[in-house]
Amino acid sequence: MVEVSTIYLLDVVSGESVEAELRDAIEPAQIDDWVTKWQPALLEVLQSLARRGVPITQWPQSWHWNWAQKTAKVQGLLAFRGFSVVARGETQGLAQIDLTKSGREPSQASKPLVYIDYLEVAPWNRPELGAAPRLRGVGTALITAAVALSEEEGFKGRIGLHSLPQADAFYARIGMTDLGQDPAYQNLRYFEMTAERAHAFLEEE
Amino acid sequence: MKLERSKDWWMTRARREGAAAIGAGLLAFDPAPEQRSLSAPATPAEENRIAFGKFVNLMRRRRGLSMEQLADATDLDASELLEIEADLYYVPEPRTVYRLAQTFAVPQRRLMQLAGLTAANDAGLRQEAVRFAARSESVQKLTLEESSALEAFIAVLSEQEPKRVK
Repeated sequence: MVEVSTIYLLDVVSGESVEAELRDAIEPAQIDDWVTKWQPALLEVLQSLARRGVPITQWPQSWHWNWAQKTAKVQGLLAFRGFSVVARGETQGLAQIDLTKSGREPSQASKPLVYIDYLEVAPWNRPELGAAPRLRGVGTALITAAVALSEEEGFKGRIGLHSLPQADAFYARIGMTDLGQDPAYQNLRYFEMTAERAHAFLEEE
Repeated sequence: MKLERSKDWWMTRARREGAAAIGAGLLAFDPAPEQRSLSAPATPAEENRIAFGKFVNLMRRRRGLSMEQLADATDLDASELLEIEADLYYVPEPRTVYRLAQTFAVPQRRLMQLAGLTAANDAGLRQEAVRFAARSESVQKLTLEESSALEAFIAVLSEQEPKRVK
């Protein structure tokens, strides 16, 4: 049974709040959205970059993928535990969770945590893609969900993730500990949130 | 799991997010075999192909795996692995290279270049591939020389991507 929490996002253009659903699962509807909406939106940006003669090296990191492979993997998300944010009838963000990993940060080394295996925000909400993003707060909501799940699982809010290069600053800002580049994950930086920090993250107003 | 927070609570956080980009994990990153859809892969250089077959052969033997065992570990066909090791004109599927890169823990992108699936733009990799291919012999057990040639080559493969020159 999928639990649905009501959350609120910010419409960047109007400054108004937008009611949204935080669902504790990734369902076929999300995969459909990824294939029929996210992927075309991404391709559109890609084409416009190519038209403007922007060299491939300067494209956003997440573009250098093999589409068929990525699509297959996204379809595989159905098999895992995850979260999705849905607003205006569309999937606005996705995250996949792994409960089998443990901490690396010295104060919580080898203690269980919620590892975020994958977190992606819909292309139209991503500030790094050049166009004006529509909704703000999607990524924060997914991180919040992971911290809350960690508490529920008895992991005291501990979470870990491998950050995309463009997101490093955000994780540092919300108080996660930067444990440096991880050669096993294509040199993405590994971040962890401690129990103490997680408590503050969930409780502060 | 249910979250009970006020509208204000969420809106404060959404505002605080600002223009931050948020994403995580290799599936969101995935800098793998790119630009195949944009330009046809170039004909692989001979030396790269030799190096790829040799590389798979040595990595397999270093782990003491038979062809079948590697096939099991990578979820690939033993017959395809045989072709990779034996036939230097054989160009594997991207999925095959992807599985091998995962199993051997080397960067997919470099291995793709080696397999001739994407064009390697840097002379350095080509040069290292030649050196590696020339140093390694196909004998039963890994000799000390082969081991060190393999180690050196893995180090080159795992180096940061050089900047592409337009």
